[in-house]
Amino acid sequence: MNQKELKKRLTELEDKLIGIEEPRENCIYLNCESQNSFAVNKFLFEELRLRFVIATGIDAEDCFEVIYHYANDRAGSMVNLKAFIRNRKKPAIDSIATFLPAAEWIEREIHDILGIDFNNHPDMRRLILADDWPEGVYPLRKDMDSKIAQGWTCKTSIRPSKKSPARRTIPMKKPILAVGPFHPLQEEMEFFQLATDGEIVTDIDMRISYNHRGIEKISESLQFDQVPFLVSRICGICSASHPLAYVQAVEELAGIEPPVRALYVRTIINELERIHSHVLWFGLAGHFIGYDTVFMWAWKYRETVLDLLEEITGNRNNYGNVTVGGCREDIPDELKPRIIKDINFVEKKTNMLIKAVDDDPILHARLKGVGVLSYEDAVKFAVTGPTARASGIDIDVRRDESYAAYDQLDWDVITRPEGDVFAKVVVRLLEVVESCKIIKQAVQKIPDGPVAMKVKQIPPGEAIGRVEAPRGETFHYVRSDGGNRPVRHKVRAPSYVNVPSFKASCIGEHIADVTITLAAVDPCYSCTERLAVVDGENKVMHDYESLLRMSREKMDRISKDLGVEKLKLEDL
Amino acid sequence: MSWKIWALKKSPWVFHVNTGACNNCDIEIVALLTPKFDVERFGIKLVGSPRHADALLVTGGVTAQAAPRLREVYRQMPKPCVVFCIGACACDKGIFANSYHMVGPVDKIIREIDPNAIIAYVPGCPPKPEAIISGVVKALSAL
Repeated sequence: MNQKELKKRLTELEDKLIGIEEPRENCIYLNCESQNSFAVNKFLFEELRLRFVIATGIDAEDCFEVIYHYANDRAGSMVNLKAFIRNRKKPAIDSIATFLPAAEWIEREIHDILGIDFNNHPDMRRLILADDWPEGVYPLRKDMDSKIAQGWTCKTSIRPSKKSPARRTIPMKKPILAVGPFHPLQEEMEFFQLATDGEIVTDIDMRISYNHRGIEKISESLQFDQVPFLVSRICGICSASHPLAYVQAVEELAGIEPPVRALYVRTIINELERIHSHVLWFGLAGHFIGYDTVFMWAWKYRETVLDLLEEITGNRNNYGNVTVGGCREDIPDELKPRIIKDINFVEKKTNMLIKAVDDDPILHARLKGVGVLSYEDAVKFAVTGPTARASGIDIDVRRDESYAAYDQLDWDVITRPEGDVFAKVVVRLLEVVESCKIIKQAVQKIPDGPVAMKVKQIPPGEAIGRVEAPRGETFHYVRSDGGNRPVRHKVRAPSYVNVPSFKASCIGEHIADVTITLAAVDPCYSCTERLAVVDGENKVMHDYESLLRMSREKMDRISKDLGVEKLKLEDL
Repeated sequence: MSWKIWALKKSPWVFHVNTGACNNCDIEIVALLTPKFDVERFGIKLVGSPRHADALLVTGGVTAQAAPRLREVYRQMPKPCVVFCIGACACDKGIFANSYHMVGPVDKIIREIDPNAIIAYVPGCPPKPEAIISGVVKALSAL
């Protein structure tokens, strides 16, 4: 719905709210007391069909705030519901995870870091803090500030503890397949437990926290211009998207418009990042289903993009190129022909890969109808990025709430209705072609001028920055009190909503298909080759090798049945 | 040189542990295996279990949840073995030094259970693949 309609519908809520603010166009803040938040959330999600983005918990000294962020993708606007919890001694609020599975993780997280109880939450186990973390210590409460500043960390046990506050009591009659915590598919070392019935997966549970580095807290101790270097290290592959989202939030707070040339530089770097991320994913996906040739070739073409990035920013990853008010490094004019040449090469090779995927009956048999995430589930889990677009949800922040120079360039949003792994492969590959198109146009259109401007002061207030990272929407919320550091900085990376969708896509699948289904949302791989089970007791164990073997055996079976040869090096 | 060290230096097989890294060092390690750098030429191979490995490539500054697992992985390695701290975080926690959930760095965690562990450092954020190769060569020739 458009913004006018939205505002009209919001007036229906008047008796439940204590105020509506609109500090900027396309950004509405609704304030309410904690007891009304459930009804308002239900209205926003079920009646207005807004997309749940994330919730932010804040310790505001005299009360606790939980801010629920919703996106209205048609109009590219945000609706934020601020619920105030006045009882500081025993803070509690009604859980919205009962009707909105996407909120399950974030409520557990807020409980971990702020100690807010969520009434009626279906599964209130620990999420992001370690097994050894002491009960009743909440790191994001302001009374922990001085302790943490003095270097307080929790004591860890010598061996992994067998009694984890996060462990679920799955009935032991069913065989449990433990995957992790050193897992080949996740950047975050995640620990999966798959309950199985024969070869069919009947339930899945995840344990995260292995990679929790407390970035939101560190950010509060850094100055506004230092934070981009921190947030670029949230994820090495999205190291251009996170700082850009943060910087856009701060620029919105300060009310400044960076120079146009800087916007083009940002566009080019972000699209180069998208190409390298998607090609990386494609290679790994090939590896998981037994196409190591594709793995090697894809990563070879990716090096071309990394060389370009190194030439422009000085580093292969972690570019650190975005600053508040512009960019650190300009793209020199003499580099333009080389960018065009290299991008043409990458585009040619990508088209070759697309043709290889499209022509291959084995890939069709192996990936079509596998790991289907239906449109309804995708909405419920509020997934973003290629995962959403492959399930027929037509969202893309680059178009919906256009930033950088995307609105001045000609490109398309790729969607597919099927929701299976094959659709995700196709969406990503076609997006690489679109990215090549964007970069070539941007290089030709880039205007002359400076790439940075001086920023003096960040006024008090709050703002949101959103960027379409390779994996989906990256969301940053920044609150300032007029000082030189953010008082609260909330980050939501796309994998945070994409990963829980495994619950919908993995259940009912064969174990051999789980590797590729888990991989299909591109959950930030880093640990491509490892899985050592060090955390399970009395469980049926499969290690990574055997999972991979099963996955590949299925591939060979299919190719034998079809009587077709696998893709060979010569075909590429 | 004992025969064990002599054997360790030939075709080191590596196991890779992410203890809370940002993924950057990790993709650079994988980049080492792919055509441009291709360290498998030298017999360096990423393996799926620490029990098969001669060297441990550790990235990340060790989060509280990862620390007991890192110790367990190190314990499973056949000794002697070399631990490589890849990247600024693994060397000294890097930009995450002031975090409440970071208990590293890696050498502190490893030395808690084995004071005589052989540890090599490859700083950088992330170190380039060339730097990682150079670090491995330097460490192995110093043994």
